[in-house]
Amino acid sequence: MSSNEKDASEIKLKSKISKTELKRQKVLLIIAALYVIYGIVFYYLPLAGWVMAFENFSIGKGIFKSEKAGLRWFKYLFKKNSSFPRVIRNTLAMGSLNLISQTVTAIGFAILLNEVRNTFGKKLVQTISYLPHFLSWIVVTSIVREAFATNGMVNELLVNLHILKTPISYFMHTQYFWPIVAISNVWKETGWNAIIYLATITAIDPALYEAAAIDGAGRWQKIKNITLPGLRSTIIILLIMNIGNVINAGFEIQYLLGTGVLSPVSTTIDIYVLNHGMKNFSLGTAAGIFKTFVSMIFVFTFNFIARKTGEDHLF
Amino acid sequence: MKSKKIFALVMACVLGVSAFAGCSKKDDNGESKATEAATDGGSEVVDGSTEAVDTTSVDASEIKDWTFYACMSGKEINDGNEIQEEIAKLTGVRVKETWMAGQEPAEAIGAMIVTNDLPDFIDGGDASDQLVEAGVLVPWDDYIEKYPNLKEMYTDKEWELFRKDDGHIYWANVFGNTYGESQARGHNDEAFWIQNRVLAWDNYPVIETLDEYFDLLKRYAEANPTNADGVSVIPYTALCEGWRYFCVENAPQFLDGYPNDGSVIVNLDGEKPTIVDYNTTPTAKMYFKKLNEVYNAGLMDQEFATMSYDDYIAKLATGAVLGMCDQWWDFAYTVNDKFKASGYDELGYNYVPLGLVAEKGIKNHWHTYGDTLNSASGICVTTKCDDPDKAFEFLSRCLDQEILDLRFWGIKDVDYLVDDNGMYYRTQEMRDKWADENYQANHICSYSYFPQYNGTSKTSANAMKPEDQESEFFDGLAKPLQDCFRAYDYDSYDDFLKSEHDEMGFWYPMYSYSNLMSTMTEGGAAWTEMGECKHEWLPKVITAKDFDSAWADYMKAYEACNPQAFLDEMQEELDRRVELANS
Repeated sequence: MSSNEKDASEIKLKSKISKTELKRQKVLLIIAALYVIYGIVFYYLPLAGWVMAFENFSIGKGIFKSEKAGLRWFKYLFKKNSSFPRVIRNTLAMGSLNLISQTVTAIGFAILLNEVRNTFGKKLVQTISYLPHFLSWIVVTSIVREAFATNGMVNELLVNLHILKTPISYFMHTQYFWPIVAISNVWKETGWNAIIYLATITAIDPALYEAAAIDGAGRWQKIKNITLPGLRSTIIILLIMNIGNVINAGFEIQYLLGTGVLSPVSTTIDIYVLNHGMKNFSLGTAAGIFKTFVSMIFVFTFNFIARKTGEDHLF
Repeated sequence: MKSKKIFALVMACVLGVSAFAGCSKKDDNGESKATEAATDGGSEVVDGSTEAVDTTSVDASEIKDWTFYACMSGKEINDGNEIQEEIAKLTGVRVKETWMAGQEPAEAIGAMIVTNDLPDFIDGGDASDQLVEAGVLVPWDDYIEKYPNLKEMYTDKEWELFRKDDGHIYWANVFGNTYGESQARGHNDEAFWIQNRVLAWDNYPVIETLDEYFDLLKRYAEANPTNADGVSVIPYTALCEGWRYFCVENAPQFLDGYPNDGSVIVNLDGEKPTIVDYNTTPTAKMYFKKLNEVYNAGLMDQEFATMSYDDYIAKLATGAVLGMCDQWWDFAYTVNDKFKASGYDELGYNYVPLGLVAEKGIKNHWHTYGDTLNSASGICVTTKCDDPDKAFEFLSRCLDQEILDLRFWGIKDVDYLVDDNGMYYRTQEMRDKWADENYQANHICSYSYFPQYNGTSKTSANAMKPEDQESEFFDGLAKPLQDCFRAYDYDSYDDFLKSEHDEMGFWYPMYSYSNLMSTMTEGGAAWTEMGECKHEWLPKVITAKDFDSAWADYMKAYEACNPQAFLDEMQEELDRRVELANS
């Protein structure tokens, strides 16, 4: 569509919204209005609660009568010696690690699975691989704890393979924590995340593969030149959608696996809010607002980059 | 295509059924509300005659089914529990107890307030002030006057300690309250514990200092590296998880001879009582250095820093752990029953307390004589309760001797026998039954967070609780424990500690204030950060290869938390309490 045509169509659209047209679309508008009302009630009205971040909120006095505190709680987050910057670092680090490792493994897994010719084997692997998604973190963390214990599976394996001389106490050293979180996430979510990529792969025109085969392309070349490019738009859209979640690096796994020694690397924003904000709603809200803004910056930036580089984008 | 249609049909049915299920649930609620309302009127009759209704039992249809939530972990009992039913018949109230699991009090209470999903009775633990703030508690004030049993719990001055800024009293702590003469034979508080077989092995030595304690553990472990069942012994462990990290954290106050003020030391040497930080004293450094030494010598549990409370209890229950520092109530309920069930008590695995001090000659206060009043939390009645008067009447009835006996001794001739002198006693069979988990769930209902007394029965010479009864106490001990008591010539657990017998000051314990702090105040924020800092650093310091540099780093991080702000607020509260006592 050339730009002229686009303009023309927009003008045309605008001129069409007349009273009769509104009448004609009455039912549709009512249905749409329901969603708008839903959005206002459940997404926008609760934002009024953000006021709490600017007062010394007390449950007894309520939102309207609590004393005003200005930016006190935002200053609290970033005061001297505050652990909050470290908490942001942990959150972003674990969030990014999770996002990257999960995306890469899910795509890799989907492609590998797609190459399997035996239908029964394929279905079996797929089912088994996405089952862990349905386990709760409570269960998963106890498995992880057992696996990484000093006398656990991982240590035993590494010692028997002579990679380690003596078992390592993984939960005593801060440097292992992020990888353990990433590995646990990959273990739990890979199969599930691969489903959407598998579906996209199935939608790629088989004619492309046939043509490539006639041209003498091997499996590897077919993956590189057909499957991956075919997945590109899905990957970008999913990345944009997930990047806002980087700041939700998780709560349960860090809370359940974290100990005092690990707290410098395991405390995420959610856990910080729990520790500092449970008897102090104002501080919790302030941290929440901060988190929202970071997420929004991420989504907008990534979307902007995607648009600039000519990729698919959300808005 | 056909299968799709069938699928859709099934889904539609499921939806329909679930929608109806929702409706019927609502109906149920409506009905039960209606019946509750109907019984309301009836119960008024019972109200008036508090003391007189002792023997009359209440009609089953009039029994109130109320709920209780404790910010504490506990064991739930089964519906239809026999003693619970018995108490319900006498008082007209049946309380379903729910215990906190996997949460912190502030989380649990916060969620309840926000969702307005409150029980009828509640013990808010450290988060009790939130309940006050939210205005969901019924004040005790009028009812204290109305029900003599309740008023009798505390002196007027003590009741004042419970009074909140808004002028009301919202709860009464139910623990550590002695009626009549003290019969206490246990030590329910903190101590360095040691398995009695270790003492027996060394011919019952006198252990007074940390050095002697760890030396004994070391020698025993070298001579007996494994238990009879092949499990390797762990000479010492220390729990570091969550709020229970006091196991590793607060020993320095005791080692210096001070009582358990919890978060600070109160020094009486100067003109007026002053607050001292026990985290930075020379004794603290000495204590952690000792733990560091013990850890690096391989005597300390190598996983102590990463284990959860459940891991810890499981470890203790195997009998492998020779010693640890802990509060009695934190481990004994579960572990002692497990020892009994597996016969380990006959092998001498039971723990006895030791009152260690930093240096010989320091007089200790591990065990405090006289009652400890923790005004920070207690049993509350919430605004959710449809009949507060009846609720307070029930709390009052809980303190009737008849009900107290049912709660702690059980049913006459079933759980205990009475001799010619009117003294209660149990047979070994009864004791074993009482310690059995199934029996506890189906038969025993102690309402353990409801008003109660230690000490002597109101109506006889018996102890309020069986574990305090002289005959019961000694006969109830396993054979090796009896030997241990005889060898030292002790007749109660506190004898092991050799603590001073002086009364605690009126301010005691200071933790009742610090437990309620939040990041709303500067001192509270410092307190939160000090806690985080200690959680992080204490295990690091203990496991460090180079203790001195680790300690220096820790002190630096600790000072950055601004502990002075916390100490200042504590001093303010201490001054307030001292003034209140003098007024």
